[in-house]
Amino acid sequence: MATDGTAAAPMVHAIDEIVAKPGEGKALLGDYLARYAPGARARGMTLEQILVSPPMWLDDQSNTLVFRWSLAGAEAWWQMRFVGGNDPDVAAWWADADARAVSRRRFFASDPADIERLCDV
Amino acid sequence: MYKLTRLVTLSDPASVSALADEIHALATAHSAYRQLVAPTLAGSHFGGDLLAHFAFDDAAKRADFDAALAPLLAAPAVASVDGVAYRSEECGKSGPELANGIYRVLLLSVDEGTDPALVERFEAETRMMPYYIAAIRGWQLSRADEAIGARRWTHVWEQEYADAGGLMGPYMMHPYHWARIDRWFDPECPDRIVDARLCHSFCGFEGRVI
Repeated sequence: MATDGTAAAPMVHAIDEIVAKPGEGKALLGDYLARYAPGARARGMTLEQILVSPPMWLDDQSNTLVFRWSLAGAEAWWQMRFVGGNDPDVAAWWADADARAVSRRRFFASDPADIERLCDV
Repeated sequence: MYKLTRLVTLSDPASVSALADEIHALATAHSAYRQLVAPTLAGSHFGGDLLAHFAFDDAAKRADFDAALAPLLAAPAVASVDGVAYRSEECGKSGPELANGIYRVLLLSVDEGTDPALVERFEAETRMMPYYIAAIRGWQLSRADEAIGARRWTHVWEQEYADAGGLMGPYMMHPYHWARIDRWFDPECPDRIVDARLCHSFCGFEGRVI
C-alpha cells in the first residue's frame, strides 16, 4: 500500500438481495442482468458476483438472488447514487422487480480492513 | 423556541442584498430571539438564493412575524419560497461553541402514510450522525408544523460546521451517511421513505443559530 497519500480509495460494495416470488427466480435474474446491470455498469458499478440460493431453480418456492457490486470508494458511490437516484428508468425497474419479489434488501459494505480508512474522512 | 425558515429564490439574484436588509430589519422589529439572513453558498441544491432563519420565544410572535414577512416574499423579485415553521426539538453541540462557521439546513418530506415506527427509527438514526461524524458541531432535527413550497416538508435537519469543508467532506463521505442513513433517501433502496426532492441549503453564520 502506498504511504504517500496517493493510495486508491478503499473499494466499497453494494449488495442486492432479492427473494423472488415462487417460480420467478430465473426470469428475474435474467431481467436484472438485461435491464438493470447495463445501466449500473454505466454508473461506475462492477458486478463482482452473483449467487443463487438454493442452487437450483424452484418452481413452487422462492429463490434468493444475491448480486455484489463494487465501487471505487465513497466518491464513486455518490456518483452512482446521484445518477441512479434521478433516473426514472431505474425507478421503473425497481418498481417492476419489487412486484416480482417477496422481499428485497440493498446494503453497502466493505472489507473489514478498509473500515478505518473509510471512516477517516 | 419557535422557529421559522424561508429559502428564497429570486428572479433577480442581484436583489439579494436589498431583500436581506429588509428581512433583517423586519425580524429585529419583531424581536426575533435569533436570526440568520444570508446568501446561500455554491453547492446548495434547491436551497434558494437567500437563507432566512428565525427563532422566537413563543408561537404568537412567530406568527406575527410570518404574517409581516409574507408580503415581502410575495414581491415580483421573489421567484419561489420553500420553508417551514417548527418548534425546536432535541439539539446538541460538540466541541467549543463556534463563533462563526457554516449553517446548513435540509428540508425533507417523508411520504404520507409511512409507518410511524419507521419515521421514529429514521429520526433516531439521523440524530446519531453527530456521534459518528465529528465535523458536525451543532445539530437539531425537528418535525415541521407548517410547510410551504415544492413539497409538504415534514422535517428540518439543521447542522453547524466550522467551515464548508466539514459539510462537503466528512458529512458526505463518512460511511454512516452514505452506507447507513442514505437508504432512507435512496430510490434504489426498499427502505426509502423520503421524497427525492430535497432543499439542501447552507450559508455562513456568526453568533449562534442552533
